[in-house]
Amino acid sequence: MKRHIYFIAACAVLSGCKPDLIAPEAHLGDIDVTTYVAIGSDGAAGYSDDALHSDGQDNSYASILASQFSLLNATDFNSPTVSASSAGINLDSNSRLVLGYKTDCNGETSLSPVRQANQGDLSILGANIYSSGFNNLGVPGTPITSINMSGYGNPANGVGNFNPYYARMASDQVNSSILSDATAQTPTFFTVDLGEADIMKYATGGGMAPQPIVANGAAGIGFDGTLDEIVSSLAINGANGAISNIPNVLDYPYFTTIPFNGLTLDADRVTTLNNVFNPLGISFVEGDNPFVIEDPAEPFGVRKMVEGELVLLSVPLDSIKCFGMGSIAGIPNKYVLTISEIQNIESARIGYNSAISTIASNHGLAMVDKASLVSSLNDGLVYNGFSMSTTFVTGGAFSLDGRNLNPNGQALLANLYIESINLTFNARIPTVNVNSYPGIIFP
Amino acid sequence: MTKLIIFLALLPFAVFSQGYQVNLQGQAQQGMGSAGSGFVQDAAGIFYNPGGTAFLNSNEASIGISPTFANATFLENGTSELARTNSPVGTPFTAYGLFQLKDSSRLKLGLGIYTPFGSTIEWEDAWVGRFALTRLQLKAIFFQPTVSFRVTDKIGLGAGFIWTTGSVNLQKDLPLIDQDGNFAHAELAGKGNGFGYNVGLYLKPTKHLVLALTYKSQINMELENGTATFTVPSSLEDKFPSGIFTSSLPLPQVATLGIGVQPNDKLALALDMNYIGWNAYDTLAFDYEVNTESLEDTKSARNYVGSVAVRLGAQYKITDKYTARLGLGYAISPVLDGYLTPETPDADRINYTIGVGYTLNKSFDLNASLLYTQVEREDTNIETQLSGTYKVRVFAPGFSVSYKF
Repeated sequence: MKRHIYFIAACAVLSGCKPDLIAPEAHLGDIDVTTYVAIGSDGAAGYSDDALHSDGQDNSYASILASQFSLLNATDFNSPTVSASSAGINLDSNSRLVLGYKTDCNGETSLSPVRQANQGDLSILGANIYSSGFNNLGVPGTPITSINMSGYGNPANGVGNFNPYYARMASDQVNSSILSDATAQTPTFFTVDLGEADIMKYATGGGMAPQPIVANGAAGIGFDGTLDEIVSSLAINGANGAISNIPNVLDYPYFTTIPFNGLTLDADRVTTLNNVFNPLGISFVEGDNPFVIEDPAEPFGVRKMVEGELVLLSVPLDSIKCFGMGSIAGIPNKYVLTISEIQNIESARIGYNSAISTIASNHGLAMVDKASLVSSLNDGLVYNGFSMSTTFVTGGAFSLDGRNLNPNGQALLANLYIESINLTFNARIPTVNVNSYPGIIFP
Repeated sequence: MTKLIIFLALLPFAVFSQGYQVNLQGQAQQGMGSAGSGFVQDAAGIFYNPGGTAFLNSNEASIGISPTFANATFLENGTSELARTNSPVGTPFTAYGLFQLKDSSRLKLGLGIYTPFGSTIEWEDAWVGRFALTRLQLKAIFFQPTVSFRVTDKIGLGAGFIWTTGSVNLQKDLPLIDQDGNFAHAELAGKGNGFGYNVGLYLKPTKHLVLALTYKSQINMELENGTATFTVPSSLEDKFPSGIFTSSLPLPQVATLGIGVQPNDKLALALDMNYIGWNAYDTLAFDYEVNTESLEDTKSARNYVGSVAVRLGAQYKITDKYTARLGLGYAISPVLDGYLTPETPDADRINYTIGVGYTLNKSFDLNASLLYTQVEREDTNIETQLSGTYKVRVFAPGFSVSYKF
């Protein structure tokens, strides 16, 4: 009461009287973040908008985690960043995507992802920038078996055994591996995010690539053995760490934006198509029809899609709109996931997640349930007044490539890491305000 | 785009108002914890109990103002960063006139003009809840012509007709960013009118005791031609057309049971018990004249519940010139868990008040009061998922001058 009286007296003089709230004291609990190392693929690297670029790198969950750690303790986190003014690059030498206007084959102009520049920034992949060891060892497109592959940065090893994104940051292109570069740092804390790249390679290729590595087997052969080897190497000096599981990637906008029955036909088109296809036992109706896809197993090499099958965002839309792809001509296999391919993806994911959860518990890692985050996004998630979802562009969580998180999505994921680390290691690391990270920029 | 439905959350009440009853409607009453239905001593009885003014025996005109310093702080759960309001000082004012046609007349005519809401809550730039609210300004002026009649020396009855006119201005950011890095912004501004009444019964079985019963009706403020202005990236302008909206806000009914006790000429005690019909505030709906796939009509659940407030005050005449007052109020919040918003970070609260009166001469009375309250409440809003602790502190000094003739 006495304090209240003093307070009132103070208020009478000042006009402010703003109340204070005191947050519980932040601390790191049982972890030592002096040297944090991140092992992963696109997510850790911040690859997004279909390119490696500075906005994505600065806002990857690994970078966000490192900056939250550094609020509490000096944290080494050296990243292989590219220049902030760079348009970024992907393996097809394209720049990043931005939202812009695009005119389609019918002459209609609409808001659409377009390349920021005519060509990507070739200098990014042109030189090795290693100087003193990188802590963010997230390398876009890296399957789990490549983590411990010596010479993964050596162009002479050829496609599949060489990754240009690693080449630019390897301590020794010929002899080092991502894992050897990681252990050379002697990490005191690490995060591991592996397996999604393996599944995505198969899924984004329309099931054309070899199936993802089997779930069980020795290091180099099975997912669980390989992962255990990686985690054991990172934890060898008693480092703690966190590991994330693999979401249902088929919820990503890359697989859900184009409906399987997106072939909309008027009466004239129906007649034309029926004249061609009726002899093959395929018929069309006015309105929505499933697309026609290539299928070598069918007698005539084509069939209609069935519900549950997916058209990928990579499909050339102008070919569909104006040049008969999906109707007169089947959509090529690489743009489609069939039921059996979807089953391969799901069974790989279940096997991997089971391995991840076993290894997390064996090594006492913080388990980050990225799968439930994506599932919540798929149902629609509200974060501080921001409605986020897996919807392409407007869902607000995915970048313009439809398969990688944007900074808002990365910040949500970073908070999930922080919450799990706090719970597992008795820490109280502050979460971040997701809304303060850049989202998609509209013209 | 349908996921970009704008959650429009508009609460009709100022940051510190416990429901309808802001209770800054008379300095003498404010000094006594805002109790006064059973102890009518001046023209502010037009608001507190129009039945009681029938027992006053002079013409009176008074004006008063209560500069209100109300500020809130928010701590989001899991973080260490505070967000604060930069709200300007509120200026609720009152003006009362009370007239009798001849001396000791049983009939009194009165007019009350008061501002039961009138403050602004403005959160600092780029705060974590920017997509829930950035600023809410509410103004409302009540005009209440009143008739009171002393039926017998023990019974007074009074009734006032209320006409209110007000305006609302609500702003928030939208999660859409333009090329310069600016967030899109929505501003909803509207004016509304409403009608209601205020009736009171004042029973004085002995000269030491008063029993009072008052009822203020619900008033529906209708916002008919509100203007919605959206500042969005140019590529989205057709999806967020600025234009007309309609909405309405219920100002709930209040029933009061009051007791006044005057053991002697120096001491007076007053107790008010209010029931506030907040359950009327069930849903907040906005109807846009032009809808698009991104701009749909919205309905937000508020689910307020009826609430109760108890107010207790004491007054002591130290000398012929000086009067001292002290009061305490306890009010239960109508906001259920899961529905706390940055518009009204409301919680069960205790109000502390003190006051002083000074009689300058036969004609002029000066009164001053001071209200202080502080609340703290943690919640996770179901609609916006904004999760954290709000702390609100209110400090409202007030001053009035009355002229008797």
